[in-house]
Amino acid sequence: MQKINRNVVLALLSLTSLVFLLFQLCYYKFYLSQKNGAAFFKARGSQSGQDSTRWHVVRKFLGLISSHNIPVYLIDPLILGLVDKDIEHIRSSPDGPSPECKYFCAPRDFTTFALLDKTWKHEVGLFRTAEKMGFQWLKIINKDPRLDGMDDLSGMEIPLHYIFKLASHAIHLVVFYERSGNFLWHGPLRLKQHMDRKFVPFRKLHFGRYPGAYEKPELLLVSIDDLKVQIPKNPSSFLEEMSHSRFLECRYREARAFIQLYPDDASLDAVEFRKKAKSLLHLAALTLNNLGVKFWLSSGTCLGWYRQCNVIPHSKDVDLGIFIRDYKADIIPAFQRAGLLLKHKFGKVEDSLELSFQGEDDVKLDIFFFYEEDDHIWNGGTQAKSGKKFKYLFPKFTLCWTEFVDLKVRVPCETLQYVEANYGPEWKVPVKMWDWKSSPSNVQDNGVWPVDEWDDVIQIY
Amino acid sequence: MDEWKPNPAVKPHKKRSWYLAWKYKLMNQRALRKLCQTGAVLFLLVTVIVNIKLILDTRRAAYEEEEESAQDYDDEMLNVEVPRHPINNKKVLDVEVYSSRSKVYVAVDGTTVLEDEAREQGRGIHVIVLNQATGHVMAKRVFDTYSPHEDEAMVLFLNMVARGRILIFTIKDEGSFHLKETAKNVLKSLGSQVAPFLSWRDMWTFVGKKGGEVYGEKHAKSPALSTWGDPVLLKTEVHLTSVEDAECHWPDTELNRRRKRFCSKVEGYGSVCSCKDPTPIEFNPDPLKDNKVFDVPVAVIAGNRPNYLYRMLRSLLSAQGVNPQMITVFIDGYYEEPMDVVELFGLSGIQHTPISIKNARVSQHYKASLTATFNLFPDAKFAVVLEEDLDISVDFFSFLSQSIHLLEEDESLYCISAWNDQGYEHTAEDPSLLYRVETMPGLGWVLRKSLYKDELEPKWPTPEKLWDWDMWMRMPEQRKGRECIIPDISRSYHFGIVGLNMNGYFHEAYFKKHKFNTVPNVQLKNVESLRKDNYETEIHRLLGEAEVLDHNKNPCEDSFVPDTEGKVYVMFIRMEQEADFTTWTQLAKCLHIWDLDVRGNHKGLWRLFRKKNHFLVVGVPASPYSSKKPSSVTPIYMEPPAKEEGAVAVPAVAAAEQT
Repeated sequence: MQKINRNVVLALLSLTSLVFLLFQLCYYKFYLSQKNGAAFFKARGSQSGQDSTRWHVVRKFLGLISSHNIPVYLIDPLILGLVDKDIEHIRSSPDGPSPECKYFCAPRDFTTFALLDKTWKHEVGLFRTAEKMGFQWLKIINKDPRLDGMDDLSGMEIPLHYIFKLASHAIHLVVFYERSGNFLWHGPLRLKQHMDRKFVPFRKLHFGRYPGAYEKPELLLVSIDDLKVQIPKNPSSFLEEMSHSRFLECRYREARAFIQLYPDDASLDAVEFRKKAKSLLHLAALTLNNLGVKFWLSSGTCLGWYRQCNVIPHSKDVDLGIFIRDYKADIIPAFQRAGLLLKHKFGKVEDSLELSFQGEDDVKLDIFFFYEEDDHIWNGGTQAKSGKKFKYLFPKFTLCWTEFVDLKVRVPCETLQYVEANYGPEWKVPVKMWDWKSSPSNVQDNGVWPVDEWDDVIQIY
Repeated sequence: MDEWKPNPAVKPHKKRSWYLAWKYKLMNQRALRKLCQTGAVLFLLVTVIVNIKLILDTRRAAYEEEEESAQDYDDEMLNVEVPRHPINNKKVLDVEVYSSRSKVYVAVDGTTVLEDEAREQGRGIHVIVLNQATGHVMAKRVFDTYSPHEDEAMVLFLNMVARGRILIFTIKDEGSFHLKETAKNVLKSLGSQVAPFLSWRDMWTFVGKKGGEVYGEKHAKSPALSTWGDPVLLKTEVHLTSVEDAECHWPDTELNRRRKRFCSKVEGYGSVCSCKDPTPIEFNPDPLKDNKVFDVPVAVIAGNRPNYLYRMLRSLLSAQGVNPQMITVFIDGYYEEPMDVVELFGLSGIQHTPISIKNARVSQHYKASLTATFNLFPDAKFAVVLEEDLDISVDFFSFLSQSIHLLEEDESLYCISAWNDQGYEHTAEDPSLLYRVETMPGLGWVLRKSLYKDELEPKWPTPEKLWDWDMWMRMPEQRKGRECIIPDISRSYHFGIVGLNMNGYFHEAYFKKHKFNTVPNVQLKNVESLRKDNYETEIHRLLGEAEVLDHNKNPCEDSFVPDTEGKVYVMFIRMEQEADFTTWTQLAKCLHIWDLDVRGNHKGLWRLFRKKNHFLVVGVPASPYSSKKPSSVTPIYMEPPAKEEGAVAVPAVAAAEQT
């Protein structure tokens, strides 16, 4: 019996091991084929074969695109980064043959191009040709945000992203749309349920995690690695822009619900005020953008955007925020040149600075300067007659782009926290009586200005 | 292992195999054997463990990768799209058709596709067309064959239906009174036994395939003139054919794919779906040289009149200089068929959920459409606004291209319109001539973005105000004294006879005889003279040149204007103040032009043509041009007829249709 036991055990073990070995082999083969075929080969070191594949795929793609007269331009951050280092050289010798493949062979999974929607006709022919050339392609469509703000309009879904895949490389084509604030917008990349989640490693895409807002770029036709391609004229500023391009859509649906609850004030006064506020905001944006000063919608203007996607008609002023590190002495003269008179100036650059300009008629432009601390951000307030100081605390925030009254402007990305800090949890309920010294839920007393400084920190014109 | 001690003393077994022999031989080298065995077991164990680990690892890695690649990129919204029409593999359809005095219905496979039991409505023959392969409803029509001419429309429709389609007929109330021989013969040719003998208040249902079998027919005769036939209910089965058989075999192109999609869904569009030589759906008209409106968005405002939309888009896409990419069709409501038409032509369409009633709904639809247009084309300075019941002249865009700079530069302009309210066959003559008018004609016009964004949009009438958008736009608060530029001969033609404020009689009286330009590439004359101040100079020049007509004659008579050609004549009518249009209205009435409200005036002056002569009418003394009146001439005064009941109501309704 014992003898048999031992033999049986041995036989069983070797059998299992054989089975496992076989299984392992099969599995490995399957795994390999998947990696090679459908998914991407994760090349750690750069092999020359892989390098030239990338270049070939890009070349094929550019051929496809030009055969259909579709103007695309390169926005790939990796390649633009490399190009930027040699930009002088590339600009000066636009046609020179390149001795080595320097840019398009750089190791990466994707090459990203941009396409302006209005410059091409959505034609099916392109995709057929692409298929003939061996590309697999994926189209990501979604709702048109330009109709989102509209009462119950439903248009066709628009293409936001295309991915063309050939061999081990993929081309990511981002579709840009013109928006009302005279800027370009691209949509987020969201996969619908039936889509192939492994078509490409989506996480590695440079565009699509969030929607983005960009200025219309000036383009330059260059020849790099023997390929003619359009690139943004100034790659470094494009890359800079890209790093904070995140765009927030206004919450149109919530805004509609709000209007249902609190019907919009359609009186002539409200219409007039909105018109004035809009033109004041346009003027302020123009002035500050010319100075290169970053600003965002603050207080009531921000609340109006967040709550009702419009100027609050009874708010009586336009409020902007600026980080104190972005403060420039030119701000006041620039506004004065633009025809806005300084109405008052409270505080000083080191503490609680606040500027107020008189716009057309009664509309006031308030600029609050924000001071960053380790765990919060604050801005200050001053009561003119008593010299009392106030401090308004906000949780830390970053800045996003949005579209507001036909303008591309920044707002805090963490808008809800920002609005709630300022207006409390009841921000959804319109309040007509607002006292800036006591109503905000984030206000703190901050002492009194020393009397000898009053002349400096309380200036009223 | 130690327990295992083979007994060497045991006699070798007879059947001892070679294996055992070999084993026993090895046994002698104990130490070596032991080592090998242990090694083998260990190796096996390790292999197994490593294998299991590897499997687990790769599993997890694969799973993570999947998670990873998709996270963040998932559409937050669950995809709730379910195929609208589940694919039905059934080959037979159950069809139920009911005909009676007060109710008709048709059910296909238990789904009611037609039900009409409304009082005083839906009288006549109801026709439903089904796709012979899918059973989908492709068209639904009712022809009130109790009334004259409706049977002709029915014949026209039935002739357009493709062979092989399934036709369902049912009568509600009465459908034979004006059902003439021709129509009866067509029904007979479809296989109906009863149709030739249909008579007063008979009930009738019929299901058949065009050019093929009859699936059933039922008929109930009316026993007496004053009573109706008994209700009839026809239950029958229809055998479906394969999809291939139901489709035409056009060459596989992008255009034909659109055509195929369209033709498998709807019926009643004639040759666009014929298998042989279908009518084109792409027109490629000549481009315009120096086209200034190529980048101007075109908003087509539509409701649920897909046949109109089809006709309209055909003419629009055939106009020289059209840019299909700039066209957006705004459909008021979730109607499928207009959207099908839009897709047939490869245009983009937007549907608008109705939010209000009647006039206010149209008005809200306009607002949404205009706002959306400027959102979609943020660069545009203008938008062309068209409606679904307009024919567009071949030189529509050429006309706009030549005049649009005026709208950009001249602040005193409100719009450019393609429509001349007074441009009838007998009152319009010169395709190259433009006017300035104080009224807003609509019907194909150009809107300036700044006007819309800064003035109109913010105070657009809200839904609860049941205002017509165009009446509102004509109000002095909005127009603020600005004028529109119009052509003498209209560049659009209003063909709609089914509309909110529209009926056949009204259309016949006011729109049918409207002149419509068909000449391509008309070079407009002296466009610069349309600027505010230039126009005054021009008018003074004209008046200076004009011959004063004999004011003793009756202006309504043809002989009032001499039988000449190409001359300029002027007449003076009485007009006490700016808003006194008594005489003008009477004159307009007898000249058979628009008289329902005042249109086409410029500072008390009207310009039109009579007998190919330019004919000017000046209101004295309200018009600043009154000074041109020779002192010997007494302005003509025409008495309005005694007020009739209802005479006021008509203009109010009618005027609204000018949208």
